[in-house]
Amino acid sequence: MKCAPFDYVCANSVEEVVKVLGEADGDGKILAGGQSLVPVLALRMARPSVLVDVNRVPGMGRIRPVEGAVEVGALVRHSQLVEQTHHPLLAEAARWIGHTAIRTRGTTGGSIAHADPSAELPVVAVGVGASATVAGPTGERTVAADELFVSALVTSLDDDEMIVGVRFPLPTRWGFAEFSRRHGDFALVTAVVAEVDGRVRITLGGVAAVPQRALAAEQVLADEGTAHDAARAAAAEIDPTADLHGSAPFRRAIAGEMVRRALVRAGIE
Amino acid sequence: MSVDRADGTAAAPQATAAAPAGATEDKSGSLGRNVRRKEDRRLITGHGRYVTDIELPRMRHVAFLRSPYGHARITGVDVTAARDAGYRVFTGQDFSHVVLRAQSALPSYVETDQPVLAHEKVCFSGEPVAAVVAKDRYRAEDGLEFVDIDYEALPATVCAWQEPEVPVHPEAPDNVLLQRTFDAGSVTDAFTAADLIVERELVTNRHAGNPMECRAGVALWDAADGKLTFYNGTQVPHIVRNMIAELMGVPEGKVRVVAPDVGGGFGVKAVLYPEDVALCLMAREMPGIPLKWVEDRAEHLLAAAHARDHRYLIKAGFASDGTLLALEADVTCNVGAYSVYPWTAGIEPLMAGGLLSGPYKLDNYRCTVRGVATNTAPAGPYRGVARPASVFAMEAMFDDAAARLGIDAIEIRRRNVITPEDIPYKMPSRLVDDSGHYGECLDKALDALDYPAFRTEQARRREAGDNPIGIGVALYNELTGLGRAASAGPRMPFRTGHDACTVRINPDGRVTVISGITSQGQGSETMIAQIVSDAIGVGYDDVDVRIGDTDEALWGFGAFSSRQAVIGGGAAHNTAVAVKEKLVKLAAELIEAAEADLRVVDGEVYVVGEPKAQISVAELARVAYLESNRLPDGIDPGLDATTFFDPIRGAFAAGAQAAAVEVDRTTGELRILKYVCVEDAGRAMHPQIVDGQIAGAIAQGLGGALYEHLVYDDAGNLSTGTLLDYLMPTSAEVPDMVIGHVSHPAANPIGVRGVGEGGTLGPNAVLAGALRDALGIDVNTLPISPASVWKELHP
Repeated sequence: MKCAPFDYVCANSVEEVVKVLGEADGDGKILAGGQSLVPVLALRMARPSVLVDVNRVPGMGRIRPVEGAVEVGALVRHSQLVEQTHHPLLAEAARWIGHTAIRTRGTTGGSIAHADPSAELPVVAVGVGASATVAGPTGERTVAADELFVSALVTSLDDDEMIVGVRFPLPTRWGFAEFSRRHGDFALVTAVVAEVDGRVRITLGGVAAVPQRALAAEQVLADEGTAHDAARAAAAEIDPTADLHGSAPFRRAIAGEMVRRALVRAGIE
Repeated sequence: MSVDRADGTAAAPQATAAAPAGATEDKSGSLGRNVRRKEDRRLITGHGRYVTDIELPRMRHVAFLRSPYGHARITGVDVTAARDAGYRVFTGQDFSHVVLRAQSALPSYVETDQPVLAHEKVCFSGEPVAAVVAKDRYRAEDGLEFVDIDYEALPATVCAWQEPEVPVHPEAPDNVLLQRTFDAGSVTDAFTAADLIVERELVTNRHAGNPMECRAGVALWDAADGKLTFYNGTQVPHIVRNMIAELMGVPEGKVRVVAPDVGGGFGVKAVLYPEDVALCLMAREMPGIPLKWVEDRAEHLLAAAHARDHRYLIKAGFASDGTLLALEADVTCNVGAYSVYPWTAGIEPLMAGGLLSGPYKLDNYRCTVRGVATNTAPAGPYRGVARPASVFAMEAMFDDAAARLGIDAIEIRRRNVITPEDIPYKMPSRLVDDSGHYGECLDKALDALDYPAFRTEQARRREAGDNPIGIGVALYNELTGLGRAASAGPRMPFRTGHDACTVRINPDGRVTVISGITSQGQGSETMIAQIVSDAIGVGYDDVDVRIGDTDEALWGFGAFSSRQAVIGGGAAHNTAVAVKEKLVKLAAELIEAAEADLRVVDGEVYVVGEPKAQISVAELARVAYLESNRLPDGIDPGLDATTFFDPIRGAFAAGAQAAAVEVDRTTGELRILKYVCVEDAGRAMHPQIVDGQIAGAIAQGLGGALYEHLVYDDAGNLSTGTLLDYLMPTSAEVPDMVIGHVSHPAANPIGVRGVGEGGTLGPNAVLAGALRDALGIDVNTLPISPASVWKELHP
């Protein structure tokens, strides 16, 4: 469990990061908190030729409330998300990420870019309709969360792009519920309920390759159905797969229950 | 997690050895008090010295190449590229003359060989096939990528109760390495007479030991002296010395094994592994170069000893009043690819068959146990060996029968349990129970649980339709400190009943003890110092204990079977008494008093009735070593002794555990509301250490009941290869617990009963019983997970 050899570059600017990634021609990886990357390096499941350390890049460590949203720099640690009060849903979700040591190092940009379908922040990002600011060789562009996540651990980012910040809209009502075997584990199911621009969005993590909107369940609510009905609709519209921790029917049932709990927490009965 | 004592008092504050209260009244002493642990200054300030901390000049690092197949023939080995890249490489052919062959004289036992590095075929995924030596571990792992092994896959068998397509060992075509039937009375007649027969098929989950420190070794061959030094994170340094010397053909006196600080063992470090032997053999090929291997977690999960992969086909007959009349069982234990060295494939099956009936009276018993080889990692000793599974099976019989007979689950146990009046009680497996205090443990446990209050709450919830709660209970008899008679069962070519101890009073009057016991963090040094300081009459702080080095200690089998307090402690006590006899004889001569009138208290010798000390231990020691001119006739210089101790039989430790749990009907989640354990440690030498042992063992047992599960796919690949998939309980998952004690000293020099393992025995049974109580469902497979409970609720 020791990583294969790689080159290391400690970048001082976004431009430098993009340049090194470009030169690596698809073989470079960004090192931020390292909480997902370092284990896969140690298992030699990832073998980048160069690691670009972005921890000293200035300007990406701040949380900034703006009109109707909160802008989170890519290097903001999960522990900072827990502590901030501008975006209560983000604070609640971040509490569920790993353990203290992981939250102290892990970053927002890293979690979003890693695109683990069982991780909390991608679900919140899709749940509130967040957008990422992405820097590349030709400058910056904005990518909506639901266009960012392509598949498990795969994003629409190019090899020479990096996330520099994420804008999380502030929901007017919200609820969060997660089910995992132990506290701190990746979720079997995460449910995020967020009312944004007058519409209640229901998003599930852990049930598909990317965070999944429960559109049928949302429609049930739009049609003035109950939380209970919406939960049943959510359970019915997903297609989870079985693994060591449970069968597909079990996951479906848990997903429904998490949706129900998240809705109740959002004040939607 | 926090631990409350059942008597309601807070855990006692740490005491330091107090001055003697009265000059001639021996009220001082450290036994029974929470003296400061000898090892804590080192261990809790980051000054522990583990194998991985050892740095020696010219040291090189080793990485093992491991089989990616569960079962395959090796058709080609090419190390050219690795050697061309500058790596030193060893393969199976280099050591094909050495095999590990665990021996037993049991009639049905099939002896098989385990290679040091596989060469003809690989028998489990993770089996070492080659080793690379490099400047550091990173480069060693780089080097593994240059080694080319060709495999031809064979069908793998991972389930021990399935017919093998290709046997693991040709010597055992059905994969059965050992089978034995325990038989007492007549089960056939008893079943005919029974009013109720309950029958279940129970399957328990495969575990890993997962000590915080994985396995580790540093081997150094000194060519000039022809001597091997092996630093090894082992529980059993003398066994390792004996086996390594034999396997390498080196005189035993030319092998030194040192177990420095060891970070947990739990049984998995009581095994001599092929990696250990490979490291020593490689060191001999590279004289003067210390070779270091530190196992990582992935290797540990793959290749360190596994345990508890069992199936119980079990049937019990009861009279209508709940009396257990007969027990019949067929127990299959998955022993993995090799008969674990040196304990053999018998370790789990024989324990399961010997202890299945537990603390219950039973005349009619038939139990066939077998150890079956599969293409999985070898199974070996793990805290509680087999009994977390066998207690689960036995208690399931009582819970099942109680429900069917309409008898309270507590009451049915009371009607069958061995009582003090039955002692000595010969179990149907012919083990002799010397305890009988199960009922007392149960009473105290139910008191501590507040059993009636939970029953009331249970009824209220049933009424209100709230999430249900259930209460589970388990009784067990933990066989500890096995002497030569009690350890004879596996018929291995050695008996582990004895340990030696050396006690020296130094010329300054302070004491050095060189004990054959070992420590993996459990406070063994403290225990030995307490025993010796009290036995001689010197201060606890004036006793130093040295352990773990075979060049120092004469002999000790090490840590397993909850044996060290009983056997190593007994040896320390007896040896200290022998030294004290000489001390007192010398004092009597020098101060012209009768030996019988002398008392030694806190390093001073008093004559009964005289308030003032007459001579100090330090002065006596000075005479013994430095002033032979003052030595009386007939007394030789020196103040030391070395003796062995063997308790012959074992000491049973009674235990009862009980819990109240709440179940979420929607998610299948189980929440432990209260967990209680009451055990008989005999005389508790250090209450805090005893509580720590029990709490840690329960935590491990809860892990096994609820989380830990090693899963192989059908091809023999381990699906749970990291701690992301193999779930260990963390402090967040381990509930607060209440630990209580009863104290019935055992018939050994210090009256102790082992407490190292008992805690692991209860949780499977307790939680399964609680679920049945809450929901009326049978738990037939472990672990209990939200998914498994949900499935029972939504069939």
